[in-house]
Amino acid sequence: MSKINLQDTGALFQIAEPTAAQAAPRAPGRGIGIDLGTTHSLVAIAPQGAAPRVLADAEGRVILPSVVSYAGERVVVGAPAMAQQEEHPERVVSSVKRFMGRGAADIEFSHPYQLVGEGGVLRIAVGDEPRRHVSPIEVSAELLRALKQRAEAELGGPVDGAVITVPAYFDDAQRQATRDAGRIAGLKVYRLLAEPTAAALAYGLDRGEHGVFAIYDLGGGTFDISVLRLHAGVFQVLATGGDSALGGDDFDRALAGHLLARAGLGEPSRRQVESARIAARALKERLSAADSVRIDLESLGLVDLEVTRAELEALIEPLAQRTIKACKAALKDAGLRAAELDGVVLVGGSTRVPRIRQLVEMTFGRPPLTNIDPDQVVAHGAAIQADILSGSERPGVTLLDVVPLSLGLETMGGIVEKIIPRNATIPISARQVFTNYSEQQTGMVIHVVQGERELARDNRSLARFELKGIPRLPPSMARVEVTFQLDADALLTVTARELMTGVKQAVEVKPTHGLSAEEVDRLVIESLDHAGEDYSARNLAEARVELGRVILAVRRAVGEVGHIESLLPPDDRMAIETALSEADAAMVAMVAMVAGSTTESDTEAAAASLTRARERLERISEPFAARRMQRALNAGMAGKSLDEIEAALADEGLDARRGGHSAALIQDDDEHGE
Amino acid sequence: MTDADYFGLLGVERRWRLDRGALERNYLERSQASHPDGFIGQDSGTQRAAMERSSQLNQGYRTLRDPVLRAEYLVKLGGTDLDSSDPRTGAPKPSQAFLIEMIDLRERLAEGDVAAVREEIEARAEQALDAGIAALDRGEVAEAARELVARRYFQRFLDEVDASEERPT
Ligand SMILES: Nc1ncnc2c1ncn2[C@@H]1O[C@H](COP(=O)(O)OP(=O)(O)O)[C@@H](O)[C@H]1O
Ligand SMILES: [Mg+2]
Repeated sequence: MSKINLQDTGALFQIAEPTAAQAAPRAPGRGIGIDLGTTHSLVAIAPQGAAPRVLADAEGRVILPSVVSYAGERVVVGAPAMAQQEEHPERVVSSVKRFMGRGAADIEFSHPYQLVGEGGVLRIAVGDEPRRHVSPIEVSAELLRALKQRAEAELGGPVDGAVITVPAYFDDAQRQATRDAGRIAGLKVYRLLAEPTAAALAYGLDRGEHGVFAIYDLGGGTFDISVLRLHAGVFQVLATGGDSALGGDDFDRALAGHLLARAGLGEPSRRQVESARIAARALKERLSAADSVRIDLESLGLVDLEVTRAELEALIEPLAQRTIKACKAALKDAGLRAAELDGVVLVGGSTRVPRIRQLVEMTFGRPPLTNIDPDQVVAHGAAIQADILSGSERPGVTLLDVVPLSLGLETMGGIVEKIIPRNATIPISARQVFTNYSEQQTGMVIHVVQGERELARDNRSLARFELKGIPRLPPSMARVEVTFQLDADALLTVTARELMTGVKQAVEVKPTHGLSAEEVDRLVIESLDHAGEDYSARNLAEARVELGRVILAVRRAVGEVGHIESLLPPDDRMAIETALSEADAAMVAMVAMVAGSTTESDTEAAAASLTRARERLERISEPFAARRMQRALNAGMAGKSLDEIEAALADEGLDARRGGHSAALIQDDDEHGE
Repeated sequence: MTDADYFGLLGVERRWRLDRGALERNYLERSQASHPDGFIGQDSGTQRAAMERSSQLNQGYRTLRDPVLRAEYLVKLGGTDLDSSDPRTGAPKPSQAFLIEMIDLRERLAEGDVAAVREEIEARAEQALDAGIAALDRGEVAEAARELVARRYFQRFLDEVDASEERPT
């Protein structure tokens, strides 16, 4: 869940924000593409229309193993971290992508880590002395930072922004976690791009080609299948499917289990399990080329062991079949039969397994395309898109991507009502109007979930939030419109407004997993030299917009109905006028303050003073807003039947559903409150 | 949104029979022009406007592309919102006789006549859609709404049958 914004009134929603001043300067050619993989990560650039190329580190290595070691005093990333893994399995974090956006209860696969669930946020305990718990987001940020530094060395200057790829099947929580990791690493994340879509882009399928393609992407920890249609300049994703917890890692685990069984180790130590896993991975990769392999595994007491490809194939067959099932479902969702496709593209290291290729070929009835290195193709696509988004003159393609999983609300009895179906093209929004059950109801809890199952508890819980301060009105008279907006990254934003009145509503968000916005902000500040400045500049911009909105709304209301003394008694009017001029003064002072200085603390101070001015203005004008609402209601109801009122309120053709969504009602205990 | 409805937004005629080629062409063309990727780095108001317009285009395309959603949308433009329970502007209540018929069908299903009942309902759903479209063509929105509500009942019935067949017992 990205954020919840609450608009005070309908009027506020309309007001345009202060303009061009906020537009960020473009930096053509300074965008980078990052493939943040479960096993391997890469960075590529394609500056100003150039062909994409992946960047190597000082030792000439292109692939950064997605491993972060917390075993020593300093954090170590990549190949050197991997070298420490066998010795310190619990303090060297690999495949962290599988933990992104997840709660401790969701982790069903085996791993060597000690997980700590702190307030719904999953963390990995990587040290006792000193005690150290890191969230998967922070671990991912270490990888991103290493890649960013690599790109800076190459570009000879700062990176402007990045396109980071995510599995198409990632849900909102996983995407949000990835975006947060980017921010913590000091990157402006232009866009999260689905990995199969990036691969399609890299394949140059855009260059005048037309047709429908399937992209089969099986990596270390995730599986995606996407069906795309390509027209001149537009990539339209027709359907996507997959499993964000299925990949080569699972092949390794299956084979490791087999090795441990053959070694007769019923209760292996952590270290033995780790050794078996590392050996299994090497064996598996060799078995892609050889029919059988002999190895010694001394730590498991196995000497001259022979493992055949047939053995491996038997172990992974159920996993492979799961991917095929998802392929068929995606074709069905796209409304296509396999024969109608123009090609199938393979992406990801695990597509080197011969049995996988065979099954894909059988399913789609044609040999797959593999001409670009399946390890690099995703990073190439990300680099192309990053170049376009950095403002280069490169002829752009438009990517019409989809949301992989339906978005729904929990209703009575725990049933999910879908509001945005899976495979809907993003961005997209849905609106729901919530009404009250009774005059006593002053709030309701809204639970947002993502997934296809019927019951809320079987889906991924994204967030719960509370609509508070619903006016006390007869049943079904109070109307709160909630808008669920999925942006082009498939990230959710929720906004709410009371349709009839200006009564202020409060919303409390509890993202089910992931870090709070505050913690991400803190990490951003802590971890980077310049991040603090960026952050406070953004903060200041936001504070300015917010205050501008409130000033405009209050001025407008005073102008329209301020002459009616019952609505705005002289004392109130005076207080509001004073608050308004203070707010104006704060705006002016802010401009002066920032003009001469760019230090972080000055910017912070300016933002804080704007926020104080806004809060004060809101507080002082609240009784006025409440009276306006009351008046609107009285005017609407005088001498009319309930039916007429109800009909009059069923405005804008909006979908009013009477309280059906209030999974929990919040009763106002204070009966004498008014 | 300046274009009054999805038909206007996507530049096709406001009626059920659709020029598919024009819908596809206009959708892709207009999406290209307003996709948020084209506005990165601009001020937040412009970015939000692009997102909102793209959202409308995507929602409109989804609605118009689908024969049922398109028919229901035309009914909505005619003043009846099938998703609302408002007594005046919401979905018309099905007749007593219709509800009794649905109960009968359910009983037949419980007696185990699944395949035959399923086929019959499928045909009835099709008929209801055809009748709804015909009514729309004649400009009889109330009649169209009744038929499309009936179609929804049949559809829900079919979905339930499918779900119960998939469920492992
Ligand atoms: N030759 C090979 N045969 C089988 N599996 C391979 C081979 N090469 C790499 N892999 C597997 O591919 C996976 C990594 O694929 P990759 O696409 O880099 O994943 P990710 O994008 O998830 O990081 C690992 O599970 C690795 O063992
Ligand atoms: Mg990958």
